[in-house]
Amino acid sequence: MINLSNILVVDDAAFMRLNLKNILGEFGHEVVGEAENGKQAVEKYRDLEPDLVTLDITMPEMDGIEAAAKLKEIDKDVKMIMCSAMGQQAMVIKAIEAGAKDFIVKPFNKDRIKEAIEKALA
Amino acid sequence: MSDNDQYLDMFFAEARDYIQMLNDNILQLEENPENKEVINSLFRAAHSLKGMSATMGFNTLTELTHKLENMMDKIRNGEIVVDTEIIDLLFAGIDHIENIVAQIKENGNEDIDIDGFLKQLEKQISVAKNRKPEEKEEKPAELGLELSSEEIENIRENKKELDTVYQIKVLLADETEFKQARASMIFKSASELGYIVKSEPKKEEIAEVELENNKIKIILVSSQTEEDIQAEIMNITDIKEVKIEEIKLPEKEEGDKKDSGESKNMTNSFEVSSTVRVDINKLDKLMNMIGELLINKTRLQALNIKSDGFKEVLPQLDRVTMDLHHTVMQIRMEPVGVMFNRFPRMIRDLAKEEGKEIDFIMKGKETELDRSIIDELGDPMTHLLRNAVDHGIEKPAEREEKGKDSEGTINLSAYQKGSEIIIEVKDDGSGINIDKVVQKALTKEVVSKNEIEEMDRHEKLQLLFEPGISTKEEVSDVSGRGVGMDVVKRTIASLDGEIFIESKADKGTKFRISLPLTLAIQEALMVKINDEIFAIPLNAISETLKIKTEEIKQVKGSDVIVLREKTIPLIDSRESLNLDIDYGQYKDKKEIPIVIVKSGAKEIGLIVDELLYQQEIVIKSLSNYLNNVPNISGATIIGDGEVALILDVRDIA
Repeated sequence: MINLSNILVVDDAAFMRLNLKNILGEFGHEVVGEAENGKQAVEKYRDLEPDLVTLDITMPEMDGIEAAAKLKEIDKDVKMIMCSAMGQQAMVIKAIEAGAKDFIVKPFNKDRIKEAIEKALA
Repeated sequence: MSDNDQYLDMFFAEARDYIQMLNDNILQLEENPENKEVINSLFRAAHSLKGMSATMGFNTLTELTHKLENMMDKIRNGEIVVDTEIIDLLFAGIDHIENIVAQIKENGNEDIDIDGFLKQLEKQISVAKNRKPEEKEEKPAELGLELSSEEIENIRENKKELDTVYQIKVLLADETEFKQARASMIFKSASELGYIVKSEPKKEEIAEVELENNKIKIILVSSQTEEDIQAEIMNITDIKEVKIEEIKLPEKEEGDKKDSGESKNMTNSFEVSSTVRVDINKLDKLMNMIGELLINKTRLQALNIKSDGFKEVLPQLDRVTMDLHHTVMQIRMEPVGVMFNRFPRMIRDLAKEEGKEIDFIMKGKETELDRSIIDELGDPMTHLLRNAVDHGIEKPAEREEKGKDSEGTINLSAYQKGSEIIIEVKDDGSGINIDKVVQKALTKEVVSKNEIEEMDRHEKLQLLFEPGISTKEEVSDVSGRGVGMDVVKRTIASLDGEIFIESKADKGTKFRISLPLTLAIQEALMVKINDEIFAIPLNAISETLKIKTEEIKQVKGSDVIVLREKTIPLIDSRESLNLDIDYGQYKDKKEIPIVIVKSGAKEIGLIVDELLYQQEIVIKSLSNYLNNVPNISGATIIGDGEVALILDVRDIA
């Protein structure tokens, strides 16, 4: 079975962060930190060293794609899952090329999230 | 073996494959008469058979396959429309092929009169409009990617020695969100496994180009095995199917031909994988020899030589023996599909005969089992499936009356569970009439009235496996030919397997067969009973423990223990082995060693004198003189060269 892990949730919308946090909590994972944009995400990643990062794509200051690339620079083994929405397919592809492990599409489906996280951590 | 014999062996082996292929494809053709790929495979199979038969000089077979090939050609060109009549005719043709091949195998001649059938074929073919068939080259409908000669050259230059070239076809699930993004994950995963030579869609264009039919094709050069690549890609979400084939690069030709003909040849060679057909007897012999090796290793171990070199070489020997055993087991494994494949045709024919509508679903055809088990299993499986059609699934009108779909379903599935292979046959038919079974058991005096009263539903169902219960009085054409469920059970038991049954009135019946993965070599617990050493196969043991006399309780005059709130009956192994001493001596001991063994859902505590050690044992069957010794399933040789008997836990429990 999969180990329960520490997760950093990155999204500019507090609502989405809460939404994700609750879902992740249900699966027994702990959200150890939250960030509102890519810049914060990079800082918090250094501080917290989480097992996994969920990254929203459209964010102010630094978007998810750029953040993905930065995080990959800091830690080549970083595990990132992109949180995308309708119409962001091209961005997701960029993020995957930048090193993201997987993606989920809003509105979130719990099973999908579970599957993505389990696979990313495996 | 003469040359001709060698050819014959190969002919039979290949003919069998082609006949299977024909059967499968005709079934598919019936469902999708328009499917060009199916028709093409049919044509190719008939064509290959014709070529082989002609080479061997089997004229009847050549003529038959030639006519069938003609017919398939007409179907391909749309001159013959596929209907039930045509399908039946094709099936009949294959039966004739099968009969002729069997005849040749038996006595070398092919004197089977098929003139009538050939005329029938002829008639269908000439009825078809006399349009000249187009002279076009047969081409498989779903091609892989082709490599240009430059690309082949490129691979040759960059490929490392251990690299393999693979053709990978990935199918995404229909409901996949962001298909192109998924595709990019596949590309990424593939490039981590090796080097992508070519792909469709192109890797660089993945963001712009929509996928065609959810398919992605990749030619990958990689040092990984097919299985590893498969597993890696399947692990990505939303992947429905991954097909991987090894591509053989064409031989480098002198004169460096660089025309397109060369790359066409390559496409054909995608189909070829390098295999060797080996006589199963040779594998049996090899397995036997490994068994001997293992016995000698165990004996060597028991010598306990005090030398550093000895201590080093023993684990080495141990590992090599186990690897060897494992490899041979692997070689002996075959997918159950080789047995399953004949069932769709059988079910179809039976259903048609009886006017029933049946959806037959097979799962887990790739599950592997020892070849010898597969061979033995064919008959019992056929019996169970025939039963499902004959007694299980009701006629459409009856089903509708019951509020069920007029089409019944039969599921056949296989899968691995731990060290066992499970095969299930499930139908959604009328279920087994328990009252009838009980009635029959009473008339046949298999059980007494008193015993019946003690039985629960489940136990009553098991009566079906008693001799004489499942056989029908009036022999029907389909099942009930005197071979009853008792034979099914016996066959499965002889393979060291078990069969379970579940049934609900009007809901259906499920048979579950569990079989061990290996037969010849097993882990066992060695125990001492009355100063003799016995082996108990580890897969039958759920635990071992030592209890005190005061923990023994009495239920209905028998000794039991209560283990985690479960009452488990105790059996004195001395008694079940009929050893000539007083039973029940264990009660004088301070600590009583007990092996909890399981058989199906049943658990018993077997009292032994001493728990010794765990060991791999080579199972040797007892000779014919000693056949059917109760509670003993075989023998093995232990370290000091002594023979130890193997306890048959299922018998005891």
